[in-house]
Amino acid sequence: MIDISHVYKRFGLKIAVSDLSFKVQQGDILGFVGPNGAGKTTTMRLITGYLKPTEGKIKIFNENPIINRLSLLPRIGYLPENNPLPGDMTVKEYLSFIAEIKKETNLEKIMEELHVDDVYEKKIEQLSRGYKQRVGLTSALCGKPDILLLDEPTSGLDPIEQDVIKDLIKKLAKKRIVIFSTHILSEIEDVATRVLIINRGTLLFDGVKPKGKGSVETLFKKLIKKS
Amino acid sequence: MKALYKKELMQLLNSPVGYSVPIVFALFLGYLFMKDVFVIGSASLKPFFSVAPWLLFILIPALSMRSISEEKRSNTIEVLMTLPLSESTIVLSKLLSIFTLTAITLALTLSVPLVLGFISSLYIPEIIIGYIGLLLLSLLYLSFSLYISSRVSNQIASFSISTIILFLMTTLSSDFLANLFPKEVQDILLFGSPILHLDNFVKGVVDFRSLSYFILLIALFFKLTVTELQKRT
Repeated sequence: MIDISHVYKRFGLKIAVSDLSFKVQQGDILGFVGPNGAGKTTTMRLITGYLKPTEGKIKIFNENPIINRLSLLPRIGYLPENNPLPGDMTVKEYLSFIAEIKKETNLEKIMEELHVDDVYEKKIEQLSRGYKQRVGLTSALCGKPDILLLDEPTSGLDPIEQDVIKDLIKKLAKKRIVIFSTHILSEIEDVATRVLIINRGTLLFDGVKPKGKGSVETLFKKLIKKS
Repeated sequence: MKALYKKELMQLLNSPVGYSVPIVFALFLGYLFMKDVFVIGSASLKPFFSVAPWLLFILIPALSMRSISEEKRSNTIEVLMTLPLSESTIVLSKLLSIFTLTAITLALTLSVPLVLGFISSLYIPEIIIGYIGLLLLSLLYLSFSLYISSRVSNQIASFSISTIILFLMTTLSSDFLANLFPKEVQDILLFGSPILHLDNFVKGVVDFRSLSYFILLIALFFKLTVTELQKRT
């Protein structure tokens, strides 16, 4: 359903992604892991069509995300890195806007599930980081997307909030593809079914999550050292 | 498009710039006009239409400076660009929302012809055509400012660049600048000046060349802004 084939992305002289290839099927919870600046965010942006690849092919449900972006984007829910939100809007104004664009009729239900209804009338700039993250997730879930791309969804959250988001990812993955990026290795062990390890834009590992506590960390450290 | 237009307009109206600048603009323009009427004794709308462009090139960059550059700075542009909206829809919604506020601002200045109507007789079609000219000039300034806003990620830089270039465009028709050049260059400069084309509307004439000038430049800057968003680099 997501097919990335020999993709390169360069920003001037800097290579952000180099010869990246992988496929993702429905039901996969793909944990995308790598150090800061490894190319995780660039890959997410390439999948959404926000960035054009310099070389290579990307197919989402057999369609090109740049050429067919308007037909593909309703099927993609995206939580960008650092969750950028318009602070001057209230949660109600912002989510109503997103729901109208994505033709979501069950906004109340999603908000209830993510406990966003508690802060519905508040301005986004007044929210805690955890609530902002929930607003971003609610926005990503609007329109019942088939693919959910979450760029560091638990970044900056306290352990309780991290657990809430991790449980939610597992629940959401039953009906769709979920790709989430992180540099917290325990998250991969808790949530992912498959792991991609990337460093300096190059894919180092693509496979089923290794079993056993600390196994992802051992593998990660070994591969990063080698690269 | 309706949802994005509504959101943009709401954000504009909730911002200090959105509600203060139009009021200051209308009051200032009203004052300049009233001064002419009561101090000089001139009961004509000509001074109003000749002063308005000089204020519009400050008002419009002030209203549009945040539009795209702030979205880039805060990275909310990434959210917007990953919603199922075409680049043209995004630019058109932003353009129309600021244009709505500009039109409201110009509507506030209708008190000027109303006052004038009490003390002298007015030819209504001429006023309507004059206001259409001002709306077209506003749209031109707006599409240009929006393009500049799409090129930079700092709203102050966006405001400064737009204002300086619009100032230069506006002064193209001034005697001071035109006299510095030979006749052939003067003619080209004058044709490029939006003020010359506005003057045709102010005279109550819908000149096809002036109408085409506005429409073509508005379309050009609109297209350039859309292309800027389509780059995805």
